[in-house]
Amino acid sequence: MTRLTGPSRKYGTLACLLLLGAGLLFAGCASSSLTIARNAFYNGNTALASQSLPDPDSVSDRDRLLYYMEKGTILFYSGDYRASKDLFLQAAELIKAQEVISASRQAASLVTTEWLTKYKGEYAERLLVHTYLMMDFLLLDDPESALVEAKQALEVYDTYPEACNDDYFTRALIAHCYEALGEINGAYIEYKKLAKLMGDPSPVADKLCALGTRLGFSDEVEHYRQFLPRPEPENGQSPVGEVLVFVSRGRAPVKIPHDIILPDAIRFSFSTYADRDGYFPGADMPVLPDVHNASRVTTNVGRVLRASLDRRLARIIAKETARVVAKEAIAKNINDNGMESLVRIAFLLMEVPDTRCWETLPGTLTLVRFPLFTGDNPRFLEEMGIPVPETAVDAPSGGGPFYRYYVVRH
Amino acid sequence: MFQNWFSKSALLVLIVAGMVMFAGCRATTREYSPDDTIHYDEGYDFSDKNAIVDYLVTSLVNRSPLAARNDRPVLVIYGVANRTSEHIETSGITDDIRQEVLRSGKARFVSKVQRDNIAAETEYQYGGNVSPETRLQRARQIGAEYMLTGTLRSIKKNQPRQVRLKKKTLQYYSLTLELTDLQTGLVEWTDSAEIVRESSKPFIGW
Repeated sequence: MTRLTGPSRKYGTLACLLLLGAGLLFAGCASSSLTIARNAFYNGNTALASQSLPDPDSVSDRDRLLYYMEKGTILFYSGDYRASKDLFLQAAELIKAQEVISASRQAASLVTTEWLTKYKGEYAERLLVHTYLMMDFLLLDDPESALVEAKQALEVYDTYPEACNDDYFTRALIAHCYEALGEINGAYIEYKKLAKLMGDPSPVADKLCALGTRLGFSDEVEHYRQFLPRPEPENGQSPVGEVLVFVSRGRAPVKIPHDIILPDAIRFSFSTYADRDGYFPGADMPVLPDVHNASRVTTNVGRVLRASLDRRLARIIAKETARVVAKEAIAKNINDNGMESLVRIAFLLMEVPDTRCWETLPGTLTLVRFPLFTGDNPRFLEEMGIPVPETAVDAPSGGGPFYRYYVVRH
Repeated sequence: MFQNWFSKSALLVLIVAGMVMFAGCRATTREYSPDDTIHYDEGYDFSDKNAIVDYLVTSLVNRSPLAARNDRPVLVIYGVANRTSEHIETSGITDDIRQEVLRSGKARFVSKVQRDNIAAETEYQYGGNVSPETRLQRARQIGAEYMLTGTLRSIKKNQPRQVRLKKKTLQYYSLTLELTDLQTGLVEWTDSAEIVRESSKPFIGW
């Protein structure tokens, strides 16, 4: 066996680096369809957005999770809940499969860039996959499957509480999934947790009082009664059901790159979430203000995403430091000044911060809930700014719990 | 000469390694009996369904009230509610229960899911195309005496977070069935089958 020495070795190494760089460049291009889809979605062209992502192979396998999440969201807001549900189920499956750390990809990313690893989703994003699945199943009139997703969402909350606890919308949805199937004990527990996490139990005090009374928790009911935001209706009519409106507003922040350049061309890169340019309604702006007698639970998606990234901060810094050390060790072991400079430049260019994230998420998610009385409900809902399908029917005058679900996106 | 021998050996090793790799990539199939017990992970699978159905059907047909009856009472199945954290098609459980109970000869069933189809067929037969001699007679269906219902539940417990190479999960499933007398509302029989399983998955893969 002969070993390459002198100019041959130099050009060999350079060729390897160029090949690697070209590979990375082409790999990055493979997911440009995601960018096209996102732009089309925000320009209001959901058909083009969906067409831009025809199948999972239209993105790199490293971005496969983003494919499922972005297309699932696009189809959700297009009203195709069945197709959206199928994609989010695949996203949830992939998240579980990617829990196993790939030694080969991690090793390769240690001397190149984080973009080589498969995107696993921030903790809050993993939770939101189940949130959209819950909404999809409820809109498809399948509350049993929605409860399955609620239980999976609870597992994410239990695993990453610091990152996810500020997602009040998802917790309220979980409580509703229990309630819709008559599992009132589970519903009461989740409403109670939500009241504690929000600090102000007012938005769910009516539920805690109603369910607590049925469960016989008279002391707790007495406590929550003081937070009831409105007196009991005295129009003589009893509600026959409930309307739940899933309101999405604005755009979630996206990750932007940051760099710290140290002497000897050492680049330390990382990403943070940044709000997007343009006017979007903030979390404190009133949601569906014409809807009276309603309770509202809002999640500031950006805040939850930032908390998730912060939760991973120590791990990100550790890996970035390890990458800088590994690259520095490789560069220092080259006994050729010209070659060392070339390698350092290559390493500097390759050190690109990972800014991948679920970009079609809204800035805020609000669950608006109000009682439903027998009457001309489809017309009333339209007057309040809630888009109602032509097939909508009025609430029946009798029977068990009756829920109507609507999606509003601003 | 040594260098030449070494190059040839290295080539041979590479060829063998390549063959092993390709052999591993070849698609293979293998037949199993539905009665075999096979678990890939802690999740619910067909082996669990078979074990649960066997246990509960044995209990149902060998205990009161069905064990004491020789007139094959009529049952209606109102389905098994899925309260687990997995998407499980519970109609597979009820189909198997009905099949095993019918085989035992201890009861008969009316089908709740076929009611709409029966109604549609009845309407068709009375629509003018079917001769009066051959069409079915209305109000001749048999009413169910008992209602069979159930709930499938699960509890999942992950090993606490700590430095380790494998992640252990403990999974518990329970299927509870109830037989309710439709006339009196009394629950005449109930039993549950339980499964507890631990599995471990590596954190690191290739």
